[in-house]
Amino acid sequence: MVEANIEMLEDEPSFKEFAIEEFLVRSEPYYRAVGDELELFEAAYEQHIPVLLKGPTGCGKTRFVEYMAWKLGRPITTVRSEDSQEMREGDVRVPLVTIACHEDLTASDLVGRYLLDANGTRWIDGPMTRAVKAGAILYLDEVVEARKDTTVLIHPLTDHRRILPVEKTGNIIEADDRFLLCISYNPHYQSALKDLKHSTRQRFISIEFDYPPIDIEAEIVAKESGCDEDRAHALARLGDKIRNLREHGLAEGASTRLLIYAGRLMRQGIPDRRACQVAIVWTLTDEAELQRSIEEVVYSIFE
Amino acid sequence: MTNSATGNLLDELAKLPPAVAEAYQAVADAMAESFSEEETALWAREGVAIGTQTVRSWESAVEYYRVSPEVARSLAFASFMQWARCGTYLSQDSPTLAVAFFKASPSIVTNLRPQYIPRWAGLGRSLYKGTWKSSTLAARFFEVSPDLVRNLPFWDVEVFASLIEALSYKSYDVAAECLVLGRDVLPAMGREREAFLSMSRALTDSSWREVKACLEMAPRALQHVEEGQTGRFLRLGEKLAKMGLRDTSRFLYDGAQALSHVSAGSQGHILDLCEGLLASTPDAVPPFLKSLDPVLNRITLQQLDQWYQHGVELLNENPESGIAFFKIESNTSESMLETLSSSLDLERVKGIMRLYTRALSGENIEVLSTAELVRRQIGWVDQDTASTDGTKVYLPPVIDNYNDKAQNFAWFKVVATHQVSHLEFGSFQFDFVRPANVFDDRRFRMEEAIQARIEAIRTATAEHFQLLDPDAAPSIEVGEGPGGTMRVYTDIGRFLALFEDRRMAFDLFSVLEDCRLDYRIKTEYPGIRRPALDVQGDALIQRPRIEELPLQEALIELLVHMSLDRFEGLPVPQDYREEAYMLARIMHRLRTVRASIEDTGEAALRAYEIISRLQNQQEPEDEFQPEDLDDPGEFSEEEYQALLDKLQAQMSEQQGEEGEGDPYESPEPVEYRGDFKPEMVQLLTKLQMDQSEMGDAEPMTQEELEQLLQDSAELELDAQEGDVDQSMAMFAQNIMKEAGVPPPSNDPGRGYGPILHDDDAGGELEALEPKTFVYDEWDFRANDYKPRWCIVKEKILDEGDPNFYNDSLRNYASLLAHIKRQFELIMPETWRKTYRLIDGEDIDLNSALEAWADLRMNVPPDEKIYWRRNRVERDVAVVFLLDMSASTAEAIDEGRHSVDDRDAPDDPVEYMVWLRRRREGLVRRHYKRIIDLERESCALLINALESIGDTYGIYGFSGYGRENVEFYVIKDIDEQFNDKIKRRIDKVTPLHATRMGSAIRHAVTKLENQDAVTKIMFLISDGRPQDRGYSREGVEKEYAVHDTHQALLEAKRKEIVPFCLTVDKAGHDYLKTMCGDLNYEVLDDIWALPERLPMLYRSLTM
Repeated sequence: MVEANIEMLEDEPSFKEFAIEEFLVRSEPYYRAVGDELELFEAAYEQHIPVLLKGPTGCGKTRFVEYMAWKLGRPITTVRSEDSQEMREGDVRVPLVTIACHEDLTASDLVGRYLLDANGTRWIDGPMTRAVKAGAILYLDEVVEARKDTTVLIHPLTDHRRILPVEKTGNIIEADDRFLLCISYNPHYQSALKDLKHSTRQRFISIEFDYPPIDIEAEIVAKESGCDEDRAHALARLGDKIRNLREHGLAEGASTRLLIYAGRLMRQGIPDRRACQVAIVWTLTDEAELQRSIEEVVYSIFE
Repeated sequence: MTNSATGNLLDELAKLPPAVAEAYQAVADAMAESFSEEETALWAREGVAIGTQTVRSWESAVEYYRVSPEVARSLAFASFMQWARCGTYLSQDSPTLAVAFFKASPSIVTNLRPQYIPRWAGLGRSLYKGTWKSSTLAARFFEVSPDLVRNLPFWDVEVFASLIEALSYKSYDVAAECLVLGRDVLPAMGREREAFLSMSRALTDSSWREVKACLEMAPRALQHVEEGQTGRFLRLGEKLAKMGLRDTSRFLYDGAQALSHVSAGSQGHILDLCEGLLASTPDAVPPFLKSLDPVLNRITLQQLDQWYQHGVELLNENPESGIAFFKIESNTSESMLETLSSSLDLERVKGIMRLYTRALSGENIEVLSTAELVRRQIGWVDQDTASTDGTKVYLPPVIDNYNDKAQNFAWFKVVATHQVSHLEFGSFQFDFVRPANVFDDRRFRMEEAIQARIEAIRTATAEHFQLLDPDAAPSIEVGEGPGGTMRVYTDIGRFLALFEDRRMAFDLFSVLEDCRLDYRIKTEYPGIRRPALDVQGDALIQRPRIEELPLQEALIELLVHMSLDRFEGLPVPQDYREEAYMLARIMHRLRTVRASIEDTGEAALRAYEIISRLQNQQEPEDEFQPEDLDDPGEFSEEEYQALLDKLQAQMSEQQGEEGEGDPYESPEPVEYRGDFKPEMVQLLTKLQMDQSEMGDAEPMTQEELEQLLQDSAELELDAQEGDVDQSMAMFAQNIMKEAGVPPPSNDPGRGYGPILHDDDAGGELEALEPKTFVYDEWDFRANDYKPRWCIVKEKILDEGDPNFYNDSLRNYASLLAHIKRQFELIMPETWRKTYRLIDGEDIDLNSALEAWADLRMNVPPDEKIYWRRNRVERDVAVVFLLDMSASTAEAIDEGRHSVDDRDAPDDPVEYMVWLRRRREGLVRRHYKRIIDLERESCALLINALESIGDTYGIYGFSGYGRENVEFYVIKDIDEQFNDKIKRRIDKVTPLHATRMGSAIRHAVTKLENQDAVTKIMFLISDGRPQDRGYSREGVEKEYAVHDTHQALLEAKRKEIVPFCLTVDKAGHDYLKTMCGDLNYEVLDDIWALPERLPMLYRSLTM
């Protein structure tokens, strides 16, 4: 019985749990710079200028932020004492708080709320509050999706004040020196409903992302998926061709992420054409003719 | 003859009307010559016997006597009397019959064996049934008999007569008609007559009316059937008739038609199949034959068997579905045909090809049929070869090179890929001054050399003239020779101007470029490497033999072979081994991804320099030795120069030695590579560019263009096919047209069903066809609906040019931005409070108190104590109905817009709009019609609606008569916005009348099915509703207006907000009645439509 228990324990899934502001990017994420975005972000970080990342889905915005969090934190090696968790030398200490915004995300989801317990109410900090306090990079992904009331929070945080007013508790939190707000948005989704207001937009510097040029994308695909160079290059070319179909029925081109998925499937031994079909063609569209057209491109590029 | 006997006879004749005696007297002498006295008496007496049978039989007696001499000439007396006796009997029954019998006899007896005469008479007799009608029929029979007997064997006549008899039981008239038809038709039939008669006989039992139809049909139908098979075919018809097939004539016709499309010798096989069906399910035979033609258009005879077998299996399982299968009314059948048919229509794969080419090239490419290109007459002439002009890829309309559909598709793809590769890898981007990548730039030096030479000539000539006459202005044209002024218009032209033999240079350029592209394709698209190799292999088979060509052409053909990926075992003339290897090296150098179009140019230049220095003479065949040129070694400029010097030296040596050799001929084109016309493409592009930047440079005149075309090497190639000089002017015109804005096409969409005329008369209608709908109509006089009164036919509008949409957006760019901003404001932020939430804007007092009480009682409280305002989603569905009636073709008066500036708006945005509109009015020669503004508004609206995400449908309506209310789908309400819709807008054209009521009702039906909070129906018209039978006399206008009003009310009842917008200035008078208290607007200024429409929509949905 005992032995069996031990075995069970060994089989238990391994996961790690972090407090939201303690989540650190521990090892260097792979990021291949296309332009001067690294320098720009670094400069903005030093100067406390919030950053807006524009670009289509799956072109590396999130990865970029992760990479920056790691890069910016790397030289600082002091260990935070209040925590029992020991940090080894070389570990980062610019935490990254990522929030995927959605239609129902409200200001209080970000700031925090009162919870009821036996003794009455208890205040719980929301992720934004915690990020502000911990001096993290707060990354609001697809910010246009969030409800408009979040702008109330974003505005004071993004100008010279760098404060977060917590209405319900009546507090104002001044952001830690290392705090930086970073938002992303995909201009291709824009509609009258979901567009950033200029008063918001103009609080950020904007770094535009697009799918990398073929050679760089091939490099990324090869690195990320581990498939061979020829395939990576072919995938990159496929991506490029498919993106030509944007506005010809395809809402979005094939993202680098999808190309990487296809590459990974190939690495696992899935035949090339099939891998592209499931990872790219069928993911991109449900329209039969369009599927067929993209498939023909796939068939031309892959044997 | 004894006197007493004669007297006796005369006495008896006297009892009859005098005509008898006269007739007797007239022939008596003649008869006496033929017969003996005794016999003559018998003959004469028989006449009396005939004459005395009944009251009117004297007429037959007259006829008897009259024809007797003629008959007697052919018959012996015994037979003669037998014949006469037959007449007597007939006369007994009916004198008419006898008369007819006798009348026909003279010609019968010459053709019919005497022993058959009684049987013949019997045939006629059997038709007589004692009635007047039957006697007419029988008489008719005798009338046509001579022809029948002359042309048919007697037994066929007998069968035919029995057929007629059988028919006569059904109808004497039909029988009589068939009799005559038979006389005309049957003789022409050969051996099949028997089968045909037997089939007809079978028909008399089941569907006797068909006999006549078959007789009428037969000669035409049967000529399509192979001689040996007609019998079988007819027996098939007979069996079917016996089994109860009703319309045999139809079967004959369809069947014969179907068989006529079958290649000779295969009809028997088809009939085998039919007989097979006959055994199991006879009903399936007619549909099978009927479908045969369309089916065989798609699949081969061998494949037909597969299709047929499948159908038979289905028949065995379920006759119904089997028959549907043979009618090609089932999906199984269709898809089976699809799989079996190997030929591929461009139409079917055009969409895929279009997206494919767009993906590859990244340009907005259209895929069109080559037929279209030929039609444009701008220099492309061959329908079967693919081509591209830079923005459009032309492919042949049908491919049936292979027996396999997949292979045919692969061919399409290889061809399309090759064409697109011209764009992708920059064939048309040739830039004279851009350096090449893998070769040294020799062309600059060449141009300089040529220019120096020209300059030298010029100076020399000028001096010469100066000497002769110092005052003469030195206006010397050096038009001849390369470097003429016109040719620098395009870069390719400038390049080709370097060569003396431009055609050879261009041929080399093409071959080398195709080689470069095919290489690129193979490296960039490994997936089509195999089909591409197949296609190249097939192309190689069709190439001429290198050994049989004169030297220059042989070397070029060698290059063509190599460009098709054939390097091994190529015949190389041994005397010119070095040259061949050098050419191979040049070509190999292009086979790298680094090579650019300029490299192709350099390669062509080098190849030209070698080949042009050789004499185009036939080399003996044994001079050629197979060599492998797959690795001819690295190209080096030094070696090349050395070879060139050697050749140059040889040339000077040989000068004057031998003849010039054969004139140079271009190599056969490689089919799949199609037409490559870089100069033409550059020219078109340039012309277009020049036109768009008007004023900058003087645009090219037609004369200049003609001159340019005359110089073109590409055209020289085609000149063989027709006299280009003659058509040069037209040609240039076409090109100018091509480069400019194409004139708007006014043709309405194709394929709208025939317009039936059906007036007010008639009753309810049925919607029988798919996509048709029946609606009631309101009759205000009866104060009731007319049930099922109108048929609405829903059709998807044809697709036109997407540019109309894009142009509209561009033309109204500033207005567009304005509208968009306005639309952003629409968003109804309707807030609704939601209580009992886990989190929200504020604490909800009620639930908070409850929670507090719970806490006090130590009960876990409900945490949901907040309230929040939730935004209500905008939920609008809208249908726009565009009036496409003929009156929208009316031109809009734009006079006032051209002069006065008084109505210039103050607002800068609006001013820009106004200004643009005004300028358009001035610049554009084409007047604008109401419909154009409707279309433009439509484009703007779509753009705006897309941005706010409302559900919307756009439809046009027109029609003619109540059974033809046409309802055109521009964008169906459930359809996603796409390119097709852009195209459809272009095809919105004025058509017929306006029966608004039914159109509204159909639109309402569409909206009804929508699940939206707000539903709006927006009607845009240009005048009062009218249609045939819709707006009648006296009360005419009222009827239509009332019905429309009623339809709008119905909409309102269904919680749909109707809105009418009219551009008819006189609209106020009837709109009041038509819309009642519903919303409407009369737009006084039609020009304001594009602006007003979105605004109205906005205010409606606020």
